[in-house]
Amino acid sequence: MFSPASYPWAEGVSLGEHLEQRGISRREFLDFCGGLCVVLGLSRSAVEGMATALQAMKRPSVVWIQLQECTGCVESVIRTAEPTIGNLVLDLISLDYSHTLMAASGHAAEEALHAAMQENAGEYLLIVTGSVPLNDDGVYLTIAGRTAKTILEEAAVGAKAVIAVGACAHWGSVQAARPNPTGAVGVAEIIKDKPVLNIAGCPPIGDVVTATVAHYLTFGRLPATDGDGRPLFAYGARIHDQCPRRANFDAGQFVEEFDDENARKAWCLYHVGCKGPATFSPCPIFQWNDGTDWPIGAGHPCLGCTERNFWDTMTPFYGRLPDVGGFGVERNADLIGAALAAGATAGVAAHAIATGVHQARRKRELPVVERPVGGGTAPNSPSSGKE
Amino acid sequence: MTGATVEPRTERLPREGQYQWVGIWGLPLRMMHWVAALSIVVLAVTGLYIGKPYFIAGGDTASHFLMGWFRMIHFVAAGLLVVTAIVRIYWLFAGNRYERWRALVPVRPKDFRNMLRRLRSYVMIRPEDEPKYLGHNPMQQFSYTSLYVVAFVQVLTGFALYGQSNPGGIFYGMLNWVGPLFGGMPVVRFVHHIFTWVFAIFIPIHVYLSVRADILEHGSVISSMISGGRIVAVDDEFEDE
Repeated sequence: MFSPASYPWAEGVSLGEHLEQRGISRREFLDFCGGLCVVLGLSRSAVEGMATALQAMKRPSVVWIQLQECTGCVESVIRTAEPTIGNLVLDLISLDYSHTLMAASGHAAEEALHAAMQENAGEYLLIVTGSVPLNDDGVYLTIAGRTAKTILEEAAVGAKAVIAVGACAHWGSVQAARPNPTGAVGVAEIIKDKPVLNIAGCPPIGDVVTATVAHYLTFGRLPATDGDGRPLFAYGARIHDQCPRRANFDAGQFVEEFDDENARKAWCLYHVGCKGPATFSPCPIFQWNDGTDWPIGAGHPCLGCTERNFWDTMTPFYGRLPDVGGFGVERNADLIGAALAAGATAGVAAHAIATGVHQARRKRELPVVERPVGGGTAPNSPSSGKE
Repeated sequence: MTGATVEPRTERLPREGQYQWVGIWGLPLRMMHWVAALSIVVLAVTGLYIGKPYFIAGGDTASHFLMGWFRMIHFVAAGLLVVTAIVRIYWLFAGNRYERWRALVPVRPKDFRNMLRRLRSYVMIRPEDEPKYLGHNPMQQFSYTSLYVVAFVQVLTGFALYGQSNPGGIFYGMLNWVGPLFGGMPVVRFVHHIFTWVFAIFIPIHVYLSVRADILEHGSVISSMISGGRIVAVDDEFEDE
């Protein structure tokens, strides 16, 4: 296999021809298509169709703009131990404009962006990483003197589809956590007139991006999504329901502290704050860094990074329940609940004693009823017999 | 049994005279009460385990199903609670005047006055000043209706959480709007957890006040939830008679 730098994908050449030039056999290519079909949940019969569609494809134009973000998503997408075909496809399609990956800089880079947008108007795929700050007229992120909102709106006009990659583009991520000083929002808050697909995660798994792009190229449309715009093939099941440590959860075997015996036995991390039961993500299946490992596999609880507002709702990361403010210091919600329940019981007991004292005092004031002579009349009815 | 003379048992009795048995609670309501009580206790105990597993099974993973059983029992008890809710909702319209929905909403000025009187008698420990009710007094109406609301939120959040395990399933399909409404599933889980403590606070107070009323009013308040009626003095006057 030859690197993309030495064999660039020329205009007008189909992907099949290009891969052949770079020494990739049809068998390898079908393997790759088969893998993508598995990822997308398609049947075996779709492999041939996908291979045909991808092979016939001319060099697609993808514009990748990076806004308020840390570059981690790009790192995740390109992070593989060796160049795979999936990596290759992404390298190829992301050539037009990408802050991190392109060689050009300054005015040349901006010209490349505008050229790509004009030449392929209505045709290109727009990938966005990073959030859009809206406070104070968006001054918290400007590139070439223009705000993130302006850049995104301009780029979206001619885009055929928009893919928001990563938690920042999805809903704002850490900069949108309370109190959200820059007013950061996700792409879908700005682009309302076309469908925005969210590849959730901080960062998302590179393979999900690859598979989504392959789906788009094969079928000409974005894959089916859940209510939050996330592709169902990847975000259709909880980590908890795919977790290799699920057996330990069901058995009631939990890690209590990170350095205890149970942690060494690789038991369930629920106790130490794992958010797998609330997180829809394919991490246990796809894994990271070319399938090397993933957080729970390495003994770390899931942080729930594919869920909206996870910085606010999933914290503390190493506890099951959020801390509740008040009482001067932060207290665990359970502690407050238990204290209130104990307080109610104690209050009830005190009230019972007070009532008893009151009744005893009152009774003493009541007139004494004379006992009937002979210890009372013999009861006639069965009910008074119980007395 | 109506009008049977009760013989004096002790030397000190507040009153003697004619007593009568008055039916108040229908069988569906009584059944619903005890099944709901059982399932709420089971739900709270298993729910607190699910929230924070306080037993840990040692040894071979394959030979244990501790959390599995706790969850299973929790879900069965939840289903039972929903059944009681359906019975109660039906009985809000089919029951007698002590059981109908009108008897659960204290909205008249008199209700508020009596609620305050009740509160004052509780705080000042003056049981003899309490406004007397055959059915639920306004404070009971308020607290039981609130508890129904809490139980409704618990059922809603509980089944929304339950639906997460099977996206595309019936519960997920019906309740996937709950997560966004609360601002995310972790918030739903938190609300579900916190509201469990409402029951833990309610139950001791409820049991205490029932026992207390039973003692002060000389029997039949607690057993009315079993037999369906109370034994009251013939000349007693009640606000809701």
